[in-house]
Amino acid sequence: MLLAVLFSNSEGNILIERFHGVPAEERLHWRTFLVKLGADNLKGAKSEELFVASHKSVYIVYTMLGDVCIYVVGKDEYDELALAEVIFVITSSVKDVCGKPPTERLFLDKYGKICLCLDEIVWKGMLENTDKDRIRRLIRLKPPTDI
Amino acid sequence: MAQPLVKKDDDRDEEAEYSPFTGIEKGAVLQEARVFNDPQLDPRRCSQVITKLLYLLNQGETFTKIEATEVFFAVTKLFQSRDIGLRRMVYLIIKELSPSADEVIIVTSSLMKDMNSKTDMYRANAIRVLCRITDGTLLTQIERYLKQAIVDKNPVVASAALVSGIHLLQTNPEIVKRWSNEVQEAVQSRAALVQFHALALLHQIRQNDRLAVSKLVTSLTRGTVRSPLAQCLLIRYTSQVIRESGLNTQTGDRPFYDYLEGCLRHKAEMVIFEAARAITELSGVTSRELTPAITVLQLFLSSSKPVLRFAAIRTLNKVAMTHPMAVTNCNIDMESLISDQNRSIATLAITTLLKTGNESSVDRLMKQITNFMSDIADEFKIVVVEAIRSLCLKFPLKYRTLMNFLSNILREEGGFEYKKAIVDSIVILIRDIPDAKESGLFHLCEFIEDCEFTYLSTQILHFLGNEGPKTSDPSKYIRYIYNRVILENATVRASAVSTLAKFGAMVDFLKPRIFVLLRRCLFDSDDEVRDRATLYLNMLGGGDDSVDGTDKDVKDFLFGSLDVPLVNLETSLKNYEPSEEPFDIDSVPREFKSQALAEKKAPGKKPTGLGAPPSGPTSTIDAYEKMLSSIPEFSSFGNLIKSSEPVELTEAETEYAVNVVKHIYDGHVVFQYNCTNTIPEQLLENVTVIVDASEAEEFSEVSSKLLRSLPYDSPKQTFVAFEKPAGVPAVGKFSNMLKFIVKEVDPSTGEAEEDGVEDEYQLEDLEVVAADYMLKVGVSNFRNAWESMGPDCERVDEYGLGARESLAEAVSAVVNILGMQPCEGTEVVPSNSRSHTCLLSGVFMGNVKVLVRLSFGIDGPKQVAMKLAVRSEDQTVSDIIHEIIASG
Repeated sequence: MLLAVLFSNSEGNILIERFHGVPAEERLHWRTFLVKLGADNLKGAKSEELFVASHKSVYIVYTMLGDVCIYVVGKDEYDELALAEVIFVITSSVKDVCGKPPTERLFLDKYGKICLCLDEIVWKGMLENTDKDRIRRLIRLKPPTDI
Repeated sequence: MAQPLVKKDDDRDEEAEYSPFTGIEKGAVLQEARVFNDPQLDPRRCSQVITKLLYLLNQGETFTKIEATEVFFAVTKLFQSRDIGLRRMVYLIIKELSPSADEVIIVTSSLMKDMNSKTDMYRANAIRVLCRITDGTLLTQIERYLKQAIVDKNPVVASAALVSGIHLLQTNPEIVKRWSNEVQEAVQSRAALVQFHALALLHQIRQNDRLAVSKLVTSLTRGTVRSPLAQCLLIRYTSQVIRESGLNTQTGDRPFYDYLEGCLRHKAEMVIFEAARAITELSGVTSRELTPAITVLQLFLSSSKPVLRFAAIRTLNKVAMTHPMAVTNCNIDMESLISDQNRSIATLAITTLLKTGNESSVDRLMKQITNFMSDIADEFKIVVVEAIRSLCLKFPLKYRTLMNFLSNILREEGGFEYKKAIVDSIVILIRDIPDAKESGLFHLCEFIEDCEFTYLSTQILHFLGNEGPKTSDPSKYIRYIYNRVILENATVRASAVSTLAKFGAMVDFLKPRIFVLLRRCLFDSDDEVRDRATLYLNMLGGGDDSVDGTDKDVKDFLFGSLDVPLVNLETSLKNYEPSEEPFDIDSVPREFKSQALAEKKAPGKKPTGLGAPPSGPTSTIDAYEKMLSSIPEFSSFGNLIKSSEPVELTEAETEYAVNVVKHIYDGHVVFQYNCTNTIPEQLLENVTVIVDASEAEEFSEVSSKLLRSLPYDSPKQTFVAFEKPAGVPAVGKFSNMLKFIVKEVDPSTGEAEEDGVEDEYQLEDLEVVAADYMLKVGVSNFRNAWESMGPDCERVDEYGLGARESLAEAVSAVVNILGMQPCEGTEVVPSNSRSHTCLLSGVFMGNVKVLVRLSFGIDGPKQVAMKLAVRSEDQTVSDIIHEIIASG
């Protein structure tokens, strides 16, 4: 299960959070934990450099894209490798929508589009689409090119 | 690089003023949502409002039921618009709002229309939304469309239906299972994603059908799998099939191994990893099978991507636990990971190296670790400390280097858990490596000079008291101990006083000097410290009221463990009423009652023993003892040794419910029959149990206590007492008959008739077995206890236990028969293990300590063999334990 996808700005304010199968009372804990993890490790990191951590049986892969920090959390079959795949799809789609690694402002400008991308990538805790070109077409309700 | 940085700053300035969501407020957005009702829809504006709603939802803002439903209704109006971008947003916001809004079903007809639309993309999205909001009845209506969609030629539509199927399988499994033909067809699809989704769904539908899964794997491993994701799934299902099928008995080959090995050469990294992991996790994997997997993992250790390095080292770390030799080839690559930027990777590298390293590399490794320790968090440090402890036990000759390392990190900053891990490690090393003792004790002494944790100081002082006097120069520790008396808080001071006394008792030439120090403690500001000092001075013969105790008594008192459970001691002390007669510690029951067990049994059961269940922390055995000693017939029997758990003598739901508790005394046994009358129309009087002891020759009945009246649903007791040879663990079988006078009760008035009828009721038989004479008393360190017991009264024998369901079942059966206390958690058998050792301890009647080491093994047809080694203080008791097993 893909437990969480979380976007925050560099100050740790949440931009988007999506949890799947995480009880409401644990979400605050996760939010704080992830933001702290980012604050400890993402300072000065290169854009899109991947970071990985594990906490009990849960894996976390996170990165910085422009000014935005992205965290994905998973367990079981969503181990660090699967999560790296997920975060790669997310970063490439966000870059695609924004045209470059986004500043916070640009990210918020394209907020609706980014939500649509996420909707195509993750569906209730499962990875659905993995190709950014396909996703770009899908969010415009255009059929993919490969048919 | 400089350019983008400057640009970023510029952007940030703008942001503060122009963020599109500055000052966003839920109420205002809900107002804005009214544009959805405009007759002339403005798609751009509507999309903006939806984005704001999404922003609010994604920020964790919640909408009330009414708000959500209102917005939801408004959103449904947007289906009128033909704007494609807006439609896509509408699908998303419906999904986001559906959990909180009522009446989501209103949107069904619009979605059904889209589901049959000519535009493929409308169909795909409508399916996804419908499945999100659907329930069982609606699902049956749209099932036909979904089945068609699964085999739709447009992969987006097919994937939407398949992924919906995966989600719906949780809620409506019967319906989704009907789609397996279509899903089967989709598995053969040429579109990579469709194949991946179909494979996942098909496996979930058939996961309980082993044959079907095996067929699926067989056909797909031969065919083509298009996406790496699907390939990963297939590898997982393949290892499941391998797990369930076992080795090919004719050739000794593992089925599908070649397939897994082939995947190691796949072009996608994720497939290579999945295959490598699958191979390393094969049960009973041979080193020939492991080698290719280890080789690819080794390559990933030097990958530029941290995720791949992490995945590789994590897998190797696991392999090192079971096959350390197979991983040694990677040692050089792992050493370079110690300096990895990512601390998780570095820690995994170190702990793996500590498992795979050989004796000659220890020194070099420790140098590298020292640099690394300063910049990781405590939780990582604890992992490293634990790994070093195991390494030291593996290479005892290297204790000097490892002990030095531990003492160095002990001096550095760190939290309680970390420090505790280090101290525990040093203590274990001192215990297991005799040469390490003096230096280890010295490091601990240095540590307590500047230790901020009271708990650790007292633990170390206690340990020092036991071990320090046995060293070549005990006097050098005194300074450190007495410093505690001067410098620390009362708890530590009291511990230090006890430690000083131990040195005084063990080392004669130090005694006079210890007296001087203890006398100073008599003026301490804390009572406990003063009390201890007075007690020890008098015991050791240095006080004014010295007691005449032999040297052995003193040592027993100082070093002997308190062999009664603390809880029992506490309750006995609370129950003790001040009188002429001093408190006798031998009167404290020794039976170890785990509170959790007692609590677990309590709910749902009527009170089994006493009229009211024992309240508070009073253990059952104390309550029993109090009750029995209040009955004149039994008051002369002496101390109650043990009371059994209640044994049921009737089936559940019978007219009369009876269970019995066996109370064991030195020369007597008392059966306490707990009786419950479950018939409202009856009153029982003069209730007794007639016990036939013809199959229990050594027992003779001495008295019984009848129960005057037993009304409906109020449990009461009747007792029968037997005499038996004192100090002998006599066994026997007793048959029981409940005898009483039954009187009819008028249900309307509740009054019983005057005349009653005599009646009898047959109960089940009852046995007194050897385990009834065994007290569950644990030991803290089994190995030490075993060694110090010595082999004088040891008896070892082997037994076949026949075919058993599992090893765990066999272990728990033997533990129950012996009635002893499992030690160090050894009663838990890891799943799938083929052999297990269980350690038990107990005290047998006559205060004889018994230790048991059980070694179990299980073979293919589930035949269990057991080796039983018993050590005790008395050869006859060792023999009795063997008899229990032989006859059980």
